[in-house]
Amino acid sequence: MSVFSDLLYGLGVALTPVNMGVAVVGLVLGTAIGVLPGLGGTNGIALLLPLTFTLKPTSAIILLASVYWGAIFGGAITAILFNIPGEPWSVATTFDGYPLAKQGKPGIALTAAFTSSFIGALVSIVLFTFFAPPLADLALRFGPPENFAVFLLAFATFAGLGGGDPAKTILMTLLGLLLATVGFDIVTGQPRMHFGVVALQGGINFVVIAIGLFGLGEILLTVEEGLRLEGIRARLGFRDVWETWRLFPRYVTTLVRATILGFWIGVLPGTGATPASFMSYGMARQFSRHPERFGKGEVEGVVAPETAAHAAGIGALLPMVTLGIPGSPTAAVMLAGFFIWGLNPGALLFKEQREFVWGLIGSMYTANLIGVLLVLTLVPVFAAINRIPFGILAPLIVIFSSIGAYATNNQILDLWLMLGAGVAGYLFKKLDYPLAPLVVALVLGDMTEQALRQSLIMGQGSPAIFFTRPIALLFILASVVLFLLPAYRALRRGKNPGGQAAAGAADRT
Amino acid sequence: MHRAGQAMALALVASAILLLREAVRLPVAWTPTGPGAGFFPTVLAIGLAFNAILILLKSLQAAPGGDRPFLPPGAWKPLVAAFLPMVAVVALIDYLGLYLGGALYLAGYTLFVGRHRPVTIVLVSVLIPLGLFLIFERWFLLLLPKGVILEYLLYRR
Repeated sequence: MSVFSDLLYGLGVALTPVNMGVAVVGLVLGTAIGVLPGLGGTNGIALLLPLTFTLKPTSAIILLASVYWGAIFGGAITAILFNIPGEPWSVATTFDGYPLAKQGKPGIALTAAFTSSFIGALVSIVLFTFFAPPLADLALRFGPPENFAVFLLAFATFAGLGGGDPAKTILMTLLGLLLATVGFDIVTGQPRMHFGVVALQGGINFVVIAIGLFGLGEILLTVEEGLRLEGIRARLGFRDVWETWRLFPRYVTTLVRATILGFWIGVLPGTGATPASFMSYGMARQFSRHPERFGKGEVEGVVAPETAAHAAGIGALLPMVTLGIPGSPTAAVMLAGFFIWGLNPGALLFKEQREFVWGLIGSMYTANLIGVLLVLTLVPVFAAINRIPFGILAPLIVIFSSIGAYATNNQILDLWLMLGAGVAGYLFKKLDYPLAPLVVALVLGDMTEQALRQSLIMGQGSPAIFFTRPIALLFILASVVLFLLPAYRALRRGKNPGGQAAAGAADRT
Repeated sequence: MHRAGQAMALALVASAILLLREAVRLPVAWTPTGPGAGFFPTVLAIGLAFNAILILLKSLQAAPGGDRPFLPPGAWKPLVAAFLPMVAVVALIDYLGLYLGGALYLAGYTLFVGRHRPVTIVLVSVLIPLGLFLIFERWFLLLLPKGVILEYLLYRR
């Protein structure tokens, strides 16, 4: 079995001292980022991107992925001890985590969160290991029409499964694609869409926009809401850990269900850890024999969302590595890193960059194991980060954002773009325009356009080419179904006003 | 909130029109190298305009009453207090560079907005830019904007 030899090779790469060190640094930074409300995984990774320029691509991706895992672990700490989600995907963890902590059982809630997060991660990584190679093989046979159909499917999942107003989702996708067209035309090299501004001819950098939208926009929102942090003191002894672990066998079904749900939602482009955690919480309550206990300190109410969130985080990297499509905005930032490190995401990655791909997969095993041990032992330290007053934290985030935005292209104009994106992000967020589709569309824009134009050239101008090739046709049909899904739901709701569709917040993942 | 929603939709319609005008200046139709450079942007801009108009119409239909204000009362103050320094720091970085500009920004923010103790202010605004300087300029060799003063002091340029 070649998967096993590849995996062993990947573990070997991940276990080299440099990569282990990078993983630990990433996990500590990521957990801190996860703990801090107002500083999210997407933004945290975007800010660290410039620091990876000097690393080898393999170490760079391990660093960024470790930040992601750390952020997923860390979000739960603030959710449970402060009743404030440190990350959007830990909102559902506050429902039962904080009541548990208030009842004097913060140790149990934290252990349950970390353990289930780890289990969700581990099972998903195994799924990842075995799904990725065949998927990459399949993707190798894709031509431009298939690629375009896959991109279309990615955008359709936002509209169909993202929840919220589909018109706004589609609008944000189109806006992201339009921003990607600014700069030189990918086929003819003609400068375009720059409105006469010379600096815009180089194109709009994705990282700059992401930092503005998620970094500065988030600060403005946090400031407006007036953050108050009053936490419960964290204690985590061996007794807590042991007591919680003894409870775990009875949650096996929840764990399995949450992992599969989370992994699947993570793989779908455009959705990520946040909707996965909400859906998993809802499912656990629905299947529970004691749904009335949920929201009052039920351990299962912590287990379900945490398992799904981490499973989705892993799943989100699967289409990124195999197809070049980010499964979440955080994955989108990592994908932007691929270009900077000189790698071409997509199916060829598996064939040509064995060290990179299998090193990343190997590091998923090692980093998540280190991560869970790290958070279990260092909870009080991480919880103490929240004592940094926001009056110091906010300007620090602005400084780091400026560094991140400047360093990708070394031009001052990007700082102003970042500022504009920050204001836009704040307004969009307040008016319920989803940010995730814009970010993913901006990253995929060039590849989407190239695939579309090459397909049309292959079809000599006729779009029929998308309907005569079976794989492309399948994806196109699936996209159409997804695009029509919101309309169908609206019709049903009109007939049956009681049946509300569960609209998840598919954003800021 | 309704007003703000309408204003945003209107702004999006306007942006779509601007983008469309910019897109149709390029070859939109079929060229010897396939679809022209303006083909994709034009299609996108038309779609953008369509969706923006749809959202605008929907927001105009919104039922009157039951609306909450765009900002909770009094929230504009901290918002402005956070936003104006953001604009200032970008301008400062442009002229004084990241390290000096950042130091001034950190000092100003912790003094006027955060209202911290003088010790904290000095520590934050001196140690952090210094640490950043060492990390980026010395260890990672990533050159960030240094501004006229620091350029002169360091390299006599």
